[in-house]
Amino acid sequence: MLDIARYEAEKRSKGTAALTVGIALLSLAFVAFFPSLDGADVDIDAMLEAYPPAVQEAFGIATLSTIEGFLAVEIYQFVWLLLLGLYFAYSAGGLIASDVERDRMDLILSLPVSRSRVLGEKFLSLLVPILALNIVVPLVVFFGVLAIGQSISPLDLAMVHLLSIPYLLACGAIGLVLSVLLSRADVAKRIAIALVFVLFLIESVSASAEGFEWIGYASPTYYYDPTAILVEGSYDLTGATVLLGAICVLVLVGRFRFTRTDIGA
Amino acid sequence: MAAISLDGLTKRYGKGTRVHLPGSRTQSNEVLAIDSLSFEVNEGEIFGFLGPNGAGKTTTIRTLLGLLSPTDGTGRVLGADVRDEGALIEAKKRIGYLPADLAFDEGLTGRRVLDYHASIKGDSRREELLELFDPPVERKIREYSTGNERMLGIVQAFMHDPDLVIMDEPTSGLDPLKQEVFHEFLRDERGRGTTLFFSSHVLGEVRQVCDRVAILRDGRLVALEDVDSLLNRGGKRVRLRLADELSETEFTTEGMVDLHALADGFQFTYTGEYNALLSHLAGHDVTDIEIGEPPLEDVFMHYYGESEEPADAEPVATPREEVADA
Repeated sequence: MLDIARYEAEKRSKGTAALTVGIALLSLAFVAFFPSLDGADVDIDAMLEAYPPAVQEAFGIATLSTIEGFLAVEIYQFVWLLLLGLYFAYSAGGLIASDVERDRMDLILSLPVSRSRVLGEKFLSLLVPILALNIVVPLVVFFGVLAIGQSISPLDLAMVHLLSIPYLLACGAIGLVLSVLLSRADVAKRIAIALVFVLFLIESVSASAEGFEWIGYASPTYYYDPTAILVEGSYDLTGATVLLGAICVLVLVGRFRFTRTDIGA
Repeated sequence: MAAISLDGLTKRYGKGTRVHLPGSRTQSNEVLAIDSLSFEVNEGEIFGFLGPNGAGKTTTIRTLLGLLSPTDGTGRVLGADVRDEGALIEAKKRIGYLPADLAFDEGLTGRRVLDYHASIKGDSRREELLELFDPPVERKIREYSTGNERMLGIVQAFMHDPDLVIMDEPTSGLDPLKQEVFHEFLRDERGRGTTLFFSSHVLGEVRQVCDRVAILRDGRLVALEDVDSLLNRGGKRVRLRLADELSETEFTTEGMVDLHALADGFQFTYTGEYNALLSHLAGHDVTDIEIGEPPLEDVFMHYYGESEEPADAEPVATPREEVADA
């Protein structure tokens, strides 16, 4: 079992390693930057008050004067929620379509495997980079924070990573559905990126538009709030459950389509 | 039991919506790729599947593997109905496949790809096959030549010791020496009881290894017979130079088709009795003669006739070649 997932993960092992190292270094750089901001003789939070509410919402800005608030904005809202969300949507956009487009799917499906298994295991292979990031980066951040003489709640840090797993998988599931629906991999990938980005924007804007908050419910970003976890220590477990449900629905939609379609026709 | 059987297998592409054309004509935008194919491939035979580009060979093969679903009719491979995914998966444990458009993940080594396939279907014969066909398995597939890629494809198709191997243009890209090794290998495989089904354009290959052939044209089966009778019907290509001046009518005898006058002789395809041709030629002053196999196109022509049929009952809006061989 899981031969396909293992193979898929191995195919991208270099990418996973590079991504993990890159994000770890970037996080470390942000952490190292904090003392100079903290030591500066300005009231940074007063300045932030002047930002439009939509910007504050989009970047989850609560405070930049504590290490938690600073990390929530710089690493978790920006890198985790936005960049990695887009990355996994993009990456998943090629899972099926690129093999179909490049004629590799013929050989894969000539093996004694069901189409559901191919789809399911390819999707599961996304867990390898997701887990690698969420194991390595929190350790780097935790010890980085200690190194600059600050402290951070290990539980909050662990939770911000743990709850990001359903979020990133949900972004991947959006890409997976597009990968099944569209026959060209680069189109599927680009639409996946655009879609997740638009959902992010809609959620940010609608949150401060009275009466229209419900529009944001369609976005996976609504169900994962790193600022709330790090600054307030509140964990949105319901949100994570909603994301897990959405992942199941999206994978089933992809499976429904993939098991009925003509390959490469 | 037949290794492969087709029962009215039909595949149309497109949604089947009607398109309105100027002048109140309507046409279907469907493309009929294969039309009511019915034939059987016996266990333990080498079966050749011939036809020009766009005839529907690849569509037939991909439908038999469950990659495309039949529009009508069905097929069975090793007893499994191609519409039944569960049964087909069970049958695929004993089936090998070598596609025409062979593609592997380029960033991995040949060994890793074989390991992957082995983890799912087994590889009891891998080492033995790698001695016959020797792609550089330690190198990344990105560096492979077409021939090496093809050899890797052959190894993966046979390494789990399948009972049935389906191949789409298996020798394209192989050098002549490897082609010879491959043909010899196919004959040995038949000796072990493996059923081999492959599409081809190459008459020499078909003549050397096939027991029976099916010929496909525009998605329809136009011939199903022994290779020997196919070749007899194809005749011999004769080209000769004569010292005497003769007109075409003076020279022509029964059995000559496609006669062309050359500067100092004639070229024709001969499908008659060989002794009759020799006695006929003995009456002339022949300065040079070549007798050879006709190109496969000529054998096709023999079946397809000289002129294209007018539009079939099934209207077709797009050129078949583009879709049917996809």
